Amino acid sequence: MKVNRYEKAAAGAVALMLVAFAAIFFYAPTDWLQGAVQRIFYLHVSSAIAAYGCFTVVLLGGLVFLRNESYAADRWARAGALVGVIFTTVTLVMGSLWAKKVWGQFWVWDARLTSTLVLWIIYAGYLLVRRLAEPGRQAARIGALVGIFGFVDVPVVHFSVTWWVTQHPGPVIVNDALPPEMLATFLFTMFCTIVFAAVLVVIRYRIETLRDAKQVLVEPAKVVSARQPEPVP
Amino acid sequence: MNPFLVAVAVARKDLLSEWRTREMVPALAQFIVLALLIGNFGFQIDSRNAPSIAPGILWLTLVFAGLVAFGRTFGAEREQASLEAMLMTPASPVAIFAGKALAASALLVACEAVLLPALSLFFGTPFSGAIVFVVLLATVGMAALGCIFSAIVARVRARELLLPLLTLPLWIPFIVAGGQAVQSAMGLPGSYDQAIGLLIDFDILFVVLTSLAARFVLDE
Repeated sequence: MKVNRYEKAAAGAVALMLVAFAAIFFYAPTDWLQGAVQRIFYLHVSSAIAAYGCFTVVLLGGLVFLRNESYAADRWARAGALVGVIFTTVTLVMGSLWAKKVWGQFWVWDARLTSTLVLWIIYAGYLLVRRLAEPGRQAARIGALVGIFGFVDVPVVHFSVTWWVTQHPGPVIVNDALPPEMLATFLFTMFCTIVFAAVLVVIRYRIETLRDAKQVLVEPAKVVSARQPEPVP
Repeated sequence: MNPFLVAVAVARKDLLSEWRTREMVPALAQFIVLALLIGNFGFQIDSRNAPSIAPGILWLTLVFAGLVAFGRTFGAEREQASLEAMLMTPASPVAIFAGKALAASALLVACEAVLLPALSLFFGTPFSGAIVFVVLLATVGMAALGCIFSAIVARVRARELLLPLLTLPLWIPFIVAGGQAVQSAMGLPGSYDQAIGLLIDFDILFVVLTSLAARFVLDE
């Protein structure tokens, strides 16, 4: 069996994630206050950062498309949006599970949680728009604009814990609030998650490229067969 | 062509067509009164809980009235293919967009002129200049965003479905800041000045972004 480079990359990314899980469960010390549930932290924060990265790809893809109509940029944007929504979902679900354990409920309406939910809705909306709009130049333009407007929420999510009083804890990395083993585990998990997200984006980009190529091949034929011969007067 | 004159002319055209048909404003006014009625029965409002519930009803009503109003902004143009005609003139697309946004905000202000007194009448909440100011400030940014997304979805299938999906998440900053300001103007705790500052920030941000984007939306 021949293994192509996408399969190799995927296998590598999954292997990295497994090593990260091993670090989370066997290397990182147990939090004395919260216990084992604090281990959610590593993947929860890493996937949020990976999602920011994906949405940055959507923003850049949109800007490049508007500037020089590059359909490759549009495909990167589509790939980034899908993977970003997946990682935002992971962040929200893991955060809710953690919240249930330490706050006693799955959800509170504080600025960080609300703005993250809004971020999810914006990019889920982006995916819906891409599905509903007629594929081609127009859909790419609409997507680019939605991606650019939607990105306004990313800094809001990130700085919400600084701008407003929130139940969600503020930054722990820059404030040097983690012991070295936890910090090392976090940085390693973050690296693995970003690699994993990047591999997913690349694979999705390949899928979008194949889909676009298929559409280009199929569409002219469809138009020709649908056209009725002109009646001769 | 002077872009300001173009914007005013487009806005005048839209408002004149609304004046001649008188479709939107009466329908929206009725919608607002109905929304307040539903709010009353949904929450069992009395004089004690009114100040804490009324701001929520105000924003809910305003947001959904806004969606109806902005959904129609490019509807008529699409039906009669008149937008293409306007874009063929030497007028800049940004000026045309600004005119459409001006007219849509004027319609929303007309709705607010019904909503705010009605809220005060039915729920006994104070009707003050501070509340009017908040709602007008929020209208600026909401109109800019509502209009751009209305133009974006005008040529897409299921546009009625997509407009709220795209617009509502981006209106949330206005609802967060506006909600806080109206609550504090109605006597609940919270800083009015901070919320107004945030509203002005969001207004500037989204008006600039939409003006930059208008060229790409209309220039087809």
